[in-house]
Amino acid sequence: MSDSLPMSGHLAHEDDAAAPVERDPNERVEAVPTQVVAQRPRFLRRPRIAVRERLRSAFAGFTAIGVKELRGRMRGRRAFVILTVYLLLLAVFSWMVELTLEQQYGRGLAGSAAFASAQIGAGIFTALLMLETLLVVALAPAFTAGAISLEREKQTLDLLATTPISSLSIVIGKLLSALTYLFILIFASIPMTAVVFVFGGVSPDDIIRGYVVLFATAIGLGSVGLFFSALMKRTQAATIATYFGVLAVCLGSFFIFYFWNTMTESNVGRGFGPLRGRPPEALVYFNPYYAQADVLCGVENGFGYWCSQVAYVTDRSMFGVPFEPTVDTGGQPRVVVPDQRGGVFIGPALDVAPIQPFGVVRDSFWPKSALSWLGLAAVLLVASVQLVSPARRWNPGLPRAVRRLMRRNRS
Amino acid sequence: MSAIVRTEGLVKRYDGTVAVAGIDLAVEEGEIFGLVGPNGAGKTTTLRILATLLAPSAGDAEIAGHSVRRDPAAVRHVIGFMPDVFGVYDDMKVWEYLDFFARCYGIPAARRRQMIGDLLDLVDLADKRDTYVQQLSRGMQQRLCLAHTLVHDPRVLILDEPASGLDPRARVELRELLRELRAMGKTILISSHILPELEELCTSVAIVDRGSVLAHGKVADIERRLRAGAVLRVRVVGGIEAIEAARDHFAAEDHVASAAILDDGTIEIGFRGDEAASARLLARAVGAGIQMSSFSRAASDLEELFLQVTAREPATLATMLQA
Repeated sequence: MSDSLPMSGHLAHEDDAAAPVERDPNERVEAVPTQVVAQRPRFLRRPRIAVRERLRSAFAGFTAIGVKELRGRMRGRRAFVILTVYLLLLAVFSWMVELTLEQQYGRGLAGSAAFASAQIGAGIFTALLMLETLLVVALAPAFTAGAISLEREKQTLDLLATTPISSLSIVIGKLLSALTYLFILIFASIPMTAVVFVFGGVSPDDIIRGYVVLFATAIGLGSVGLFFSALMKRTQAATIATYFGVLAVCLGSFFIFYFWNTMTESNVGRGFGPLRGRPPEALVYFNPYYAQADVLCGVENGFGYWCSQVAYVTDRSMFGVPFEPTVDTGGQPRVVVPDQRGGVFIGPALDVAPIQPFGVVRDSFWPKSALSWLGLAAVLLVASVQLVSPARRWNPGLPRAVRRLMRRNRS
Repeated sequence: MSAIVRTEGLVKRYDGTVAVAGIDLAVEEGEIFGLVGPNGAGKTTTLRILATLLAPSAGDAEIAGHSVRRDPAAVRHVIGFMPDVFGVYDDMKVWEYLDFFARCYGIPAARRRQMIGDLLDLVDLADKRDTYVQQLSRGMQQRLCLAHTLVHDPRVLILDEPASGLDPRARVELRELLRELRAMGKTILISSHILPELEELCTSVAIVDRGSVLAHGKVADIERRLRAGAVLRVRVVGGIEAIEAARDHFAAEDHVASAAILDDGTIEIGFRGDEAASARLLARAVGAGIQMSSFSRAASDLEELFLQVTAREPATLATMLQA
């Protein structure tokens, strides 16, 4: 023991002396792999982290905005009282529609009572869907028209703009939170709408179609409000501009379509005006009425009012039953179909749209309308992002007058 | 230690007007740096450029090595900004307000709760945690806004006129708070059009007017430079000839950098001498037979000097500051 102590001490000493020599190569060996990792080219390492970081920060951004907006909107009883009153009104309204239709069938005013239940179901669905559409058109722009301009007016936008939150997060967060309450209203009405299953005549996919149109329209109209809110300095101006914008897009386009159609001579049996060629149906893609008409066409028992509305704008023959093709009037093959008044209608032969059990063409219009709304939303959101924060605005080659207008609105 | 905030030839033009005409600043880490100038001098514009809210028309600014032009996102992570006028959200409680900004900076939920408590303690609003923001007094809102700039523990605070609209007591509290923040190692940029507000607080100041920096340095330094020079105001009895003759007399004297006749007939002298020198100047003027009704030496304190600095002709100014 006593021997081993100095021995060990000696050994330890030797170790100490040797240690620097030994440790150095060790360190170098360890260091090599670290260096190799560290020396991976920057362009290989950075983008992945940057993308993930960016996504994380974008998510944090719009949840921050969303939580903030919803906390304000849902605070207290107000939001829930409104929801309750709204559902009550909706219930009373559908009850009223049901009673009215029942009476009509009872008096034999609405045709055979054999399909009365299904007809009543379709009637309630029609009434509810149109009411909801009206609600969306009226409320979606109102909810977003103040989203950005209120921040400017209250001078809170600067506080927001100095956080790392991106303009895109601000815009998306604002849109989603503004629309969330509207979506809650729409969602809450789904059980109400499902009452129609009691009567029949409407299938679940009809309801889904109707709600897809509602949501797409809400997003599109919400983006219109958001865009004007970002463009204009004052909420009042933004609201007015928004409603004029909505009117122009939804109704103005239809009037153009209507007048154009009246002026044409190309359609046999319709119009003798000076213009050649039909107006493009794309003009009315932003008209929610026609989009829902296409949905409602699907619940009709045959070719009725709603189908004829869609046919008016799409100019497609309505029956899938191939009638005798007539003379090829240059270009498109055409078919002759009996119209509602007992005459005939000559139109282009069916090509694209699927044919439903009753032989009615459907889904020829609303998907295009829904996609158009989403497309418009995308364009307007990109524009809004540019307008939100002046310092980080990507500066497109806009005319000087437009740039000055944008600047004046901001400062 | 190198500067944490640096601007080089910062220029901001709006349609036709120049708000900032080439400002060069350097702020060391840990300083409380004051930007002083009258309204419209370009203070707010400068601070907003630093806060990445405005893009400079020319020049660049760097904060902690990040350019506000090239990497504004990185700048936003190291700064906390409090604008001169700011609003508060309706329908929001005090803790929700801080929670919102903490979320904007992506701070995880676990840390937010703790941090909100700490910040409310720091700005002395802990008992207002569940109060609605719009119900707070102006001073409290100001402190809350200051707290929001701290949620991400920034290295640099940019405060634009933080004391405006506050009563004297709230000002004192704010000053204490800023000292505390400095002790925590923050660099603070602060602007004001009232010099005494900054005099006691700042380690360095820059005096700006019409978009340019007139003087820039340690407070004591500027004070000394300003005190070395002074403006003398002399009223001479007699017609315009007498006044002009007196002006010529003064212009020829020692230590006199400039002598000008103001609109009201007062002669203003840019003087680079101490009080004894000005006493000798007066004695010689009396000896020369100039009929004077008053002879006064202005600029007794920094406030007065500041007023002069920002209200004088450039020639007089140059004398005062380069003395």
